[in-house]
Amino acid sequence: MIDKDAEFLKKLLVTFKIEADEHLKGMYSGLFELEKGVAPERQVELVENIFREAHSLKGAARAVNQVEIESLCQVLESVFSSVKKYALPTSPGLFDLLQEALDLLTRILPDAGSERAQDDKALQRQLIGRLEEAGKGRIGETEKRGNGAEEQMEEVSPIHRFSDSPIQEVFTLPPLSDSPVQKVSSVSDTVRVSTSRLTSLLLQSEEMLSAKLASSQRVLDMRTAGATFGDWKKEWARVEPLVQELRVSAPQSDVREAGHEPADSKRSLVRLLDFLDWNSTVIKALEARFTVEVKSAERDGRALGSMVNNLLDDMKKVLMFPFSSLLEILPKIVRDLSRENGKKIDLTISGDEIEIDRRILEEMKDPLLHLVRNSIDHGIESLAVRKAKGKPQRGSITVSVFPRDDKVELVIADDGCGIPLDGIRSALVESRALSGEAVDELDNPELLNYVFQSGITTSPIITEISGRGLGLAIVREKVEKLGGTVGVETATDVGTTFRIVLPLTVATFRGILVRLGERLFVLPAMYVARVLRVKPEDVKNVENRETITLDGEPVAMTRLASVLKLPETNAGAGAVALLPMVLLAASGTRIAFKVDEILGELEVLLKGLGCQLSRVRNVAGATVLGNGQIAPILNVTDLLKSTVKMAAFSSLRSRDPATVSADRPRSVLVVEDSITTRTLLKNILESSGYAVVTAVDGVDGFTRLKSGMFDIVVSDVDMPRMNGFELTAKIRADREYGDLPVVLVTALASKEDRERGIDAGANAYIVKSSFDQSNLLGVMKKLI
Amino acid sequence: MNETDFERQKILKARAAALAREPEKSGAEGERIEIIEFLLADERYAIESVYIGEVYPLKNFTPLPCTPAFVLGVINMRGKILSVVDLRIFFDLPNRGISDLNKIIILHDGGMEFGILADAIIAARWISRSSLLLSLPTLTEIRAEYLMGVTKERLVVLDGGKILSGKGIVVHEEV
Repeated sequence: MIDKDAEFLKKLLVTFKIEADEHLKGMYSGLFELEKGVAPERQVELVENIFREAHSLKGAARAVNQVEIESLCQVLESVFSSVKKYALPTSPGLFDLLQEALDLLTRILPDAGSERAQDDKALQRQLIGRLEEAGKGRIGETEKRGNGAEEQMEEVSPIHRFSDSPIQEVFTLPPLSDSPVQKVSSVSDTVRVSTSRLTSLLLQSEEMLSAKLASSQRVLDMRTAGATFGDWKKEWARVEPLVQELRVSAPQSDVREAGHEPADSKRSLVRLLDFLDWNSTVIKALEARFTVEVKSAERDGRALGSMVNNLLDDMKKVLMFPFSSLLEILPKIVRDLSRENGKKIDLTISGDEIEIDRRILEEMKDPLLHLVRNSIDHGIESLAVRKAKGKPQRGSITVSVFPRDDKVELVIADDGCGIPLDGIRSALVESRALSGEAVDELDNPELLNYVFQSGITTSPIITEISGRGLGLAIVREKVEKLGGTVGVETATDVGTTFRIVLPLTVATFRGILVRLGERLFVLPAMYVARVLRVKPEDVKNVENRETITLDGEPVAMTRLASVLKLPETNAGAGAVALLPMVLLAASGTRIAFKVDEILGELEVLLKGLGCQLSRVRNVAGATVLGNGQIAPILNVTDLLKSTVKMAAFSSLRSRDPATVSADRPRSVLVVEDSITTRTLLKNILESSGYAVVTAVDGVDGFTRLKSGMFDIVVSDVDMPRMNGFELTAKIRADREYGDLPVVLVTALASKEDRERGIDAGANAYIVKSSFDQSNLLGVMKKLI
Repeated sequence: MNETDFERQKILKARAAALAREPEKSGAEGERIEIIEFLLADERYAIESVYIGEVYPLKNFTPLPCTPAFVLGVINMRGKILSVVDLRIFFDLPNRGISDLNKIIILHDGGMEFGILADAIIAARWISRSSLLLSLPTLTEIRAEYLMGVTKERLVVLDGGKILSGKGIVVHEEV
């Protein structure tokens, strides 16, 4: 029983903490607005709201036996009650005290339900005492004595005292009752659902996207299969006259010529002809049926597609949160930090009602905090400096959100001293990133772009808040990872503005599917500036680097395969008329990447590579294609960085060695059921210059053999459907391929097995446990 | 009822009899752990089954560029992408020819999850933890930190938890 009660109380506490957190946030935001100074009507509203929040929190705390929180709220409530009745004037001292009380509440809340530290208890008793004093109108008198600096800060009271208000219109408001039971906000049509559950729902809905893609792939496959009917029709059209001819010459089956010997064979012929007729009827009916089925599959696919799209859209909307949920932390941070720095800063927030994917908001928290801290620490000048410059004493930071089509722009601006361009110049030279002359050549926007590079800081002293020169690099990385961009504008003594453009959702985006050898890769379309086809002779060498000309300007060019450290495939070398290229652009850099083929554009869902692959160079994630295959999604920012790095180390590579072998490469059929071994053998053989085709078992192998020209077969023995011995025997029995060399590579090491292999007609027998690639290559060289 | 049918029946009966046998009772030996025994490049290894999510046939995989050699690639496991590690390369075992490696044992604990390649799954059985001998370095080429111990039959039991939490296993590389 006791356990059950404790369990129940625990659950209640969890709910209480969530609720209490909301009340606290409500009080914080109300206080900040009050402190900033607002119109009298708004003041009344705010005070009333804060009072209600305190009252509700008190009630909630009482319900779960949180006596300490309750008692703190009790005094808060009575202070606000006095303010409400205009019995208590507001002042900076009072705001500080109230802030302190809220800070304490915020600190003790997570531990509600467990024993509290003695220090906290003492602090709480002291706070309650001071609040009670304040409630009586004696604000902060006790602490002022020990804290003379505070007095200076109080020279401007940002809020009009109610009693100062010349028109006492406030009194015309209906008298507010002391018990704030009537809740103003309507909560009837909302439910509280945990975000983890919603996120899991979203992930499941996103999974439906693969069902949609798979269904359109199925339809395509069915269409391809349906094309066989066309082949059949052609064949039948050719044979049909023959069948008719035969039928004319043969008597009708029901005409019996009993007793005659040839009648039997004629009867057989007639039966055969009847069967052929029946066959063609069946196939035609089948085709008609198949066509209908394909049509319905298409229809179902479309219906599924639109259902999935609607579901995803709605699901994404559910997870859209207003920017306010991110920006509400700012007032407190700005207040605390400007206090510490002895600066006066007004924070203005606008557009925070605009909604965006919650996951983007979560990712943006650190970059936003960093930018705001930068503004306070480096941007806004100290009081004295501002005075000397003739600027208003109070600095200002504005954070605004604007909708931009299907994107959102987040602007963080300050009216501080601006970013010193000379500082960047010297930091660049100091970090040896660029030579002095190179730095001098940069124009201002180019120079400014360097602030996003790690290791560049213009702050002469490394302060606690910022200045380690890593922050802005992280800001850019985070923003670009979300598919956004970040830019900066600055003017000396006017201020600095950071503009961050973000997509509304993270879930799906358009991608360009490209092929390198047999591998497929996806390039996010937002970084693809252009898709090009370039004549080989238009690739020019400039300073030992390959470049192409685009709109009259030279653009650096590289091969995607070499950046990814993949073997360069020279498929159809020489025959290629135009080189397919993708022009990638990010953070001011443009490079053209040569690929083997551009397959098209598609909608992709970015998936992580699993927790073991926390970050892979040049790869951002992966996506599942319609046929279930995985295609890696490349990280364009990384690709550009890698290319620049590579260019720094190596100039133009020596010419492709692949062109050395002038004649046709020898072709090998590898038959192996294990994918790992198949891949291994393929890699070994391809890197030795063979053209390789693979098959998964004997049946598959024999079919492939019939459809291509091969010089040698390398086969496993133990395989499903048809094993290596059977395959070898079948090849030997074949008229056309009887002489083809066969190498068996097998785990079966016994003498009997070896003999069986030789009996079947294999030319060589290699045991896997002692496999060594030079051995295989040597054997193959001897055989062909 | 031809001969092969009869043979088949015989095999099935023998299996049923083997399954029906009560597990060896040796509770006195203290804590017992269930291990899954598997074949990796002709060597037998085992891993405690609490770290094993499932065993998956490797039909297809996608290699990833710019990853260390011990990462074979990624697979699509019911819509989720999972990386596959080749322990032979991770442990730096000497290359002994080639083997099938067409099974994936999915290892997991609270936070980490990935697949490891195996040739075949041999058996699942219970052993007592105290019967494990601290391995002699000469018994295996695998570094001691990844070993849980060696059974009397010289079966090397790998420490699934250490492999999952091992520092070297996580790939985190910047350009």
